[in-house]
Amino acid sequence: MPRSRISEELREIAGAEAVLDGAEDLMLYEYDAGLSTGTPQWVVFPETTKQVSRIAQLASRMNVPLVPRGAGTGLSGGSIPRAGGIVLVFSRMTKILEIDAANRRAVVQPGVVNADLSAVVARHGLFFAPDPASQKASTIGGNVAENSGGPHTLAHGVTVNHITGLEVVLPDGGVVQMGGKAADSCGYDLTGLFVGTEGTVGIVTAITVKLTKVAEAVETLLAIFHTIDDAANAVASITAGGITPVALEMLDGKTLRCVEEATHAGYPMDSGAVLLIELEGLREAVTEQAEAVRAVCERHNAREMRRAANEQERQLLWKGRKTAFAALGRLAPAYYTQDGVVPRSHIAKVLRYIETVAQKCNLQIGNIFHAGDGNMHPCILFDMRDPDQVKRTHEAGRMILTYCVDCGGTITGEHGVGMEKNELMPLLFSEDDLEVMKWVHDAFNPKSVLNPQKLFPTPRSCRETNVAGGIGGSR
Amino acid sequence: MNPRGSNFTGPDRPTWDLYSKCIHCGLCLQQCPTYRVLGREADSPRGRIYQVLQVDAGRLRIGDSFVTHMDRCLGCRACETACPSGVQYGRILERARAEIESNYQRPWLERRLRDWFFTRVLHRRKGLERWAKWLRVYQRSGLQKVARASGMLKLLGLDKVEALAPQVDRAFFFPHLGMLYPAEGEVRGRVLFHVGCIASVAFTGLNEATVRVLNKNGFEVFIPRAQRCCGALQAHAGYREEAQRMARRNLRAFLEPNRDAIITNSAGCSAMMKEYGDLLQDNPKYGEHGRDVASKVKDVTEFLAEAGLRPPQRRLKARVTYQDPCHLAHAQKVRSAPRELLKALGAELVEMAHPDYCCGSAGTYNVTQNELSMKILEQKMDEVTQTRAEIIATANTGCMLQLRAGVKARGLNARVAHVIELLNEAYEDPPAAAEEQHSRHRRKRASHVPSS
Amino acid sequence: MSPTVAAAGLARALAAIAGEAYATEDPARTTSFAIDEVVPRAAVEPGSAAEVAAVLQYAHARKLVVAPAGGFTHQHTGGIPERVDILLRTERLKAVEHYDPGDMMIGVGVGTTVAEVERKIGPHQQILPLETAQPERSTIGGALATATHGPLKHAYGGLRDYCTGVRFVTADGKIAKAGAKVVKNVAGYDLMKLLIGSYGTMAVITGASFKLFPRPPQMRTFVAQFARLAEAMTFRDHVLGSPLTPVCLELVSPHAQAIVAESFHPVSPNSGETRVGPPGETWRVLVRAAGSDRVLARYRAELGAAAAASEMGGDDEAQMWRSVAEFPHTLFERSRNAMLLRVDVALQDVAPMLEAAERAALDNSFLCAATGRIGVGSLLVGFAPIAVDPPSAMQYVNAVSYLRSMTPRDGSAIVLRCPLEAKRYFNVWGSTPNDIGTMKALKRAFDGEDILNRGRFLF
Repeated sequence: MPRSRISEELREIAGAEAVLDGAEDLMLYEYDAGLSTGTPQWVVFPETTKQVSRIAQLASRMNVPLVPRGAGTGLSGGSIPRAGGIVLVFSRMTKILEIDAANRRAVVQPGVVNADLSAVVARHGLFFAPDPASQKASTIGGNVAENSGGPHTLAHGVTVNHITGLEVVLPDGGVVQMGGKAADSCGYDLTGLFVGTEGTVGIVTAITVKLTKVAEAVETLLAIFHTIDDAANAVASITAGGITPVALEMLDGKTLRCVEEATHAGYPMDSGAVLLIELEGLREAVTEQAEAVRAVCERHNAREMRRAANEQERQLLWKGRKTAFAALGRLAPAYYTQDGVVPRSHIAKVLRYIETVAQKCNLQIGNIFHAGDGNMHPCILFDMRDPDQVKRTHEAGRMILTYCVDCGGTITGEHGVGMEKNELMPLLFSEDDLEVMKWVHDAFNPKSVLNPQKLFPTPRSCRETNVAGGIGGSR
Repeated sequence: MNPRGSNFTGPDRPTWDLYSKCIHCGLCLQQCPTYRVLGREADSPRGRIYQVLQVDAGRLRIGDSFVTHMDRCLGCRACETACPSGVQYGRILERARAEIESNYQRPWLERRLRDWFFTRVLHRRKGLERWAKWLRVYQRSGLQKVARASGMLKLLGLDKVEALAPQVDRAFFFPHLGMLYPAEGEVRGRVLFHVGCIASVAFTGLNEATVRVLNKNGFEVFIPRAQRCCGALQAHAGYREEAQRMARRNLRAFLEPNRDAIITNSAGCSAMMKEYGDLLQDNPKYGEHGRDVASKVKDVTEFLAEAGLRPPQRRLKARVTYQDPCHLAHAQKVRSAPRELLKALGAELVEMAHPDYCCGSAGTYNVTQNELSMKILEQKMDEVTQTRAEIIATANTGCMLQLRAGVKARGLNARVAHVIELLNEAYEDPPAAAEEQHSRHRRKRASHVPSS
Repeated sequence: MSPTVAAAGLARALAAIAGEAYATEDPARTTSFAIDEVVPRAAVEPGSAAEVAAVLQYAHARKLVVAPAGGFTHQHTGGIPERVDILLRTERLKAVEHYDPGDMMIGVGVGTTVAEVERKIGPHQQILPLETAQPERSTIGGALATATHGPLKHAYGGLRDYCTGVRFVTADGKIAKAGAKVVKNVAGYDLMKLLIGSYGTMAVITGASFKLFPRPPQMRTFVAQFARLAEAMTFRDHVLGSPLTPVCLELVSPHAQAIVAESFHPVSPNSGETRVGPPGETWRVLVRAAGSDRVLARYRAELGAAAAASEMGGDDEAQMWRSVAEFPHTLFERSRNAMLLRVDVALQDVAPMLEAAERAALDNSFLCAATGRIGVGSLLVGFAPIAVDPPSAMQYVNAVSYLRSMTPRDGSAIVLRCPLEAKRYFNVWGSTPNDIGTMKALKRAFDGEDILNRGRFLF
């Protein structure tokens, strides 16, 4: 079928206004927040589940790739149409369908922005717990696809822990239900399986989320250390000591200086590392835990401890953390963030390794990460105009992730595999492991119409052409 | 299409250094009024920067598509507030728009209208005065009533736009130019006042209030005669040279030694004047002057909050919500100052869900992009309504016009006022001066004329 | 291939894989492994994942029905098997695969009992918040297969929330894994979710990794008693709406209290604590709090007089919770003809479901005894016969169908256990909010020959 016929059918399904097929418009959907690119042939803005279903049918019938996209804030290329085709953008499916405060649930369309939901349910004293750094822009549909985390996942868990039901459009256009408002249900846990499948098995069109009670008291502490090692050891001691902060974040000295210039959050300019520690809960409990945390940090030679005296100061400390990556953007035109996870007791060792990688590859690497989870985010700074730097950046990333896996960890804690790390999956999984995962893929998406060439490594026969994976970009 | 080189041509083009700061993280998306309404990447800050980048890379031409999306930007710069990488979006946009003006042929009528407004009306006091007088005649002679009733405006598609035009004052502010207004009580400082172009013909009362409140607070106010429009409207529209011309004139007018600050009461003006350094950076003669003047510019709310208010006599017993003017909150990062002033008045301040979301006014935007502007205003009015405020305070004339249109359309029983107007009402005149109340100011001709 | 493979051949083949001592077809032994009175033809105890794989490859090639089995504490759940050729026992898969107390993660073979894990991590003041009945018999594999949970689910979530990785063998004998040994991971599909609660129908899990949690240094339980269920629910909503963050929020119905009390033997009768007397006419809401004296004082203030009047601490408190966790087991100790359902509903459906259960019991000559995590909507609803004579199958059927008729569309009411005679008359699984077609497609993809627990699951 010629291109124009597909355009015509798409317009018939979604309305003329809701379909883009001109080159000047399509190039706006070739990027996300990461480094991968790929240009679609059509962009469609569906408004209803029915439209999504009909578009899926059309894509299946025509064997055209179909790639769902929320706000395009992903870091692993999950929403990039790697093989061209139709990009389905959910910026018109942004309704909160139901707020059921009594049951602690909300039902939302996939395009609802994460932070917007929390803002709306705040009047019930509730919030949606997953808090990726992109939460002011990223959509809940995208969070579901990527199983997004965030600083507060240490206590609250990642997205999958907060989703109880889904309405999903399958590649053949079928609309199926998974779960509902109840926390558990009879049968296979389809909801749990679906979350984090990165748009490779179905397109979510409605989401039932858990809402969490806003804690009575929050205590945010900034512990300042002379050395990274002291900070890393303090992390292990805090968690092992029976205190579970809701967030336990670490920023190294290099990052700190950039963040401070960008946000004026009051971070020290001359320290080796800081920990941002947040405790939540009953006022009495939080006060005691804060004392315990202070004691642990001091035992690990903390140079200074600061405490946010009010909500404003707390927001400022967090602003520094949440914008840390982009603040590093001030040092170099581009950066490549890794997302490996290691057992918490290995953090200090891994940080030292990252430093040697930086020296070996002659690159600057900043570290801002979810220390409490052992979720490392080394941020490799580079200039994409220099092909050699790009190559070294890619190498450094691979070295770091390999080391994470060698320490008993994983290659991605929250950003997803997408088209950025799919070739690294064999570091973690055997061919049999991947084949079993493929069974799931094929049960839903046998023709690979949905989000092709993602998550799974390219079959060996065609690997040659795709070696460079994610890095490169168009700029 | 030019696959090899840039499609930008001018010396003041958006440069790689400017746009490559954007790491396309997307944190700006939801802060952008047009993205919130349209949901299109092309109408988001990230998308616009990407388009600029593609024009520079020769992959996108300066054609209808590019121009449409650039035109749709309100220039509110909320994205700059959201941006963690410190992208100077405003600078990229202004430069891109200047490129559009030199590389893109707009339709004839549009071109003529734009040229006329930006280079004639705003260029000199005379032009502005003439335009304002015509508008006044139209509004007050009954012509307006006839035009509205006849449906003529509707036929011309101008009905919505016409409602947004400023209500021209009976007396303009121009006679105050060149005057010096002494401080009351102990003198705390001496300032210069930039009166603003639209404010001079449609907000005379606001300008008078500004002078009076400054006097009441112990500041001597001088109003340089040779001052011009600040150039903001021109710069935002891509008339960069015209803006530079305005800036140079103003530099001459405001280079006064021994003055503590240059005060404006329109956020758009203070934002522009604070950026004179950048606007004139390539000009060896004016670059430094530009930075000097820029460093002295203060929005009146910022200035008064920093100085500390003398306690007003009356309290403002009302439920007030405050709309952040984009060019105050995002461009100048002034957020708390106007709120502090309102609180000092004793007002009950009720915040909207998103007080720093743009109201859709954006200079001439509500006229040029009327439909989109009205959608943005709708969202704003939803939030305003929820606060159940009796007074909607703001600190920029453009926002005042837009919000008034919104209040009228909703049939709300709320007053739209500048923070300074509310302050002015709270200061009583001493009994002896009460008879002077109407003339308001004890003025005297300046003993010296500013060097030009 | 017909199931009439010579039995002797089967045992020999299994012995060749797992060793002579670990394969049997001796009816004296296999009879003790009967599932719903269906005796397996042979039983095997593989000692490693590789041996599990070999057993499954053998069975897969011959389309022999395999039933994985742990401590036999949950085998009564599911449809009556049409046959079991090989009972695959996980008894020997007991290795501690990884445990570094500093990382608060543990990985174990699925034959490890819950109690064994607890003993391993206890000295490090850590807990696995599983708290199942019969911890000395219940295995990790059984817990995963049945997605079982105890009162701690209120604060810590279910297995799907803290199991971070699985090692398993597929029906055709592939050794595979998913997840990781770290707390956070999104690489690859989350097959843990698919396997947890799949009742051994998708694959045979051989090992799993879990997030561990620090054991609170001090816990106390506040017992609030109410004459009516509605009052208990109001109290629950009060607790949920308060700033309190209890570790458990458990309902014990009047008749359940009688059962719980049976296994509750206070160890320190003279400890001076306010004692909670045995059976009563009241609905109890147990609020378990962790924290310092100041924190506990705050609980007293927030909970109000009703709950603060009776509280427990020390060994008694721990003992009492053990008894609550044992409820699904004690129910049958006391009354072997009882029936137990697992009911999962939204919070506001808890009270209507319990009322429906009371009604269903009353109309069919049962006593309804229920416990449950009323803060998350997970209930265990028991039906104990009133009369001395065993009830007729129809009484069970009627009770279940009434309860199911009152179950909301996205709720579930699974019969975990009931007398075999009754089981023949209804589907133990009931309805599901999950798309059947999708579940079937997954089952086909994983076990196209349907050799794993054939006939026991939903479809």
